[in-house]
Amino acid sequence: MLSKPRKVMLIDDNEVDLKINSKIITISKLFDEIIVCKSGEDGLSYLSEHTDDPNNLPDFILLDIQMPEMDGFEFLEIYKNFPDPVKEKCIIAILSSTLDFGDIKKAEANPLVIKLLRKPLFPKELEELLRKYFIL
Amino acid sequence: MNAPTVRVLYIDDEENNLHAFKAGFRRQYEIYTAISAVEGLKILENVAIHVIIADQKMPQTTGVEFFKSITNTFPDPVRILLTGYTDIEALADAINHGDIYRYITKPWNDLELHNSIKNAYDAYKAKIDLRNKVIELEKTNDELNRFIYSISHELRAPLVSAMGVINLVKMEGLYESCGEYWSLMETCSNRLDYYIQKTLQYYKNNKTISEHTNIDFSTLVPDLIELYSYSDKETHFNVDIKQDVPFYGDSFRIEVILGNLISNAIKYQKTEETHKKVGISILVKKENAELTISDNGIGILNEHLEKIFTQFFKSKTNHGSGLGLFIVKEALNKIHGKISVSSDPLEGTTFKIKIPNVK
Repeated sequence: MLSKPRKVMLIDDNEVDLKINSKIITISKLFDEIIVCKSGEDGLSYLSEHTDDPNNLPDFILLDIQMPEMDGFEFLEIYKNFPDPVKEKCIIAILSSTLDFGDIKKAEANPLVIKLLRKPLFPKELEELLRKYFIL
Repeated sequence: MNAPTVRVLYIDDEENNLHAFKAGFRRQYEIYTAISAVEGLKILENVAIHVIIADQKMPQTTGVEFFKSITNTFPDPVRILLTGYTDIEALADAINHGDIYRYITKPWNDLELHNSIKNAYDAYKAKIDLRNKVIELEKTNDELNRFIYSISHELRAPLVSAMGVINLVKMEGLYESCGEYWSLMETCSNRLDYYIQKTLQYYKNNKTISEHTNIDFSTLVPDLIELYSYSDKETHFNVDIKQDVPFYGDSFRIEVILGNLISNAIKYQKTEETHKKVGISILVKKENAELTISDNGIGILNEHLEKIFTQFFKSKTNHGSGLGLFIVKEALNKIHGKISVSSDPLEGTTFKIKIPNVK
């Protein structure tokens, strides 16, 4: 079990959803800080910048699938090559509205993804998931 | 309406026959004549011919040899073979290798030949029409596939955002702030989302080819219960799964079937019931899996039992979409499963399903 998570990273191209999910996380008080990324590239550059700075790495990443240019799966392909300490610290769940069977199976099969959460995000569901990995 | 122009190519080494043919048919058709196979090929290369008539007995290339030589280069024109003698071997060869539509004996009877050309043209047209239809269908299918994919993403994403806003409204304690407006919005959004999901399920069930994977019911069932009972914590689930042998089946359709039945069992409960119960028992055997889903809900009227699996059937009292059970039945048909139902307004409803184990 990991200690109480502090930072969460949201990766989503949809600004409305970024706003809604930030707000939901703020109200539910599950994290102290939210790192908002409007694309997979943004997320990756933040992570590479702070690779050796665990204090600034997110404990948890909520990743969208459908994004222009780099989609969630492409993000994961690159993230796979990050050093192990980063991957051990930053736990990833997918947060998507997809109903595409292929997308769902692909997400579930990815070893880096702990769960596929469906939009809209329910704070209770998020909390239950976090409890399996962190001491809240 | 003008009669279509039918272009006929006639190949014969006897000049007289070519003249006679032209004289006899030029009013009805656009006639092209050639004195040899080589000449005939030249015409084919330059004119879109519909019907080819070739004499069998020609000095360099016989009619059959000519037809054989163009099977790949000019497959579309319909072929008629003219022959002055009955050579069974040539005929057999013609039918087997030259793709001959008719054979006519010389000297020809004008009416017979005329009818044959007419029929040959109809066959040509049917062949081309069919090909165009196939191309058109492939295009429509492709568009439909992309459309469905975009429904599942583009159309649903903003709806889900709106549902997220409604959640926020609840979390911030504003849900009651505008009378019942927020709850009306929520009902409408949920209903729209339900329809989008069912439409996708129906479509995917029709399209997707069965893929058989190993299914472990003891993980699948709890997942489905978690998914569908999320907004309902009152229902008590009684799950009994006996799976001693591996089960292979179509996991997408089995999820659709079980998901719809579980969500129905949760949805159609008696509001006043204090012990809402849903029972799920599954017995996996070598040859099949037997699934029973029962509830103590509102039940189904006897006179409705036969109609519940038809598309858009809704009873007056229950405001379903008329799609859930229809999709269940369609999905079962695809995987050769069977379903039966018994119900009683006092006791509730029980669905029994049998799904073949494919390995």
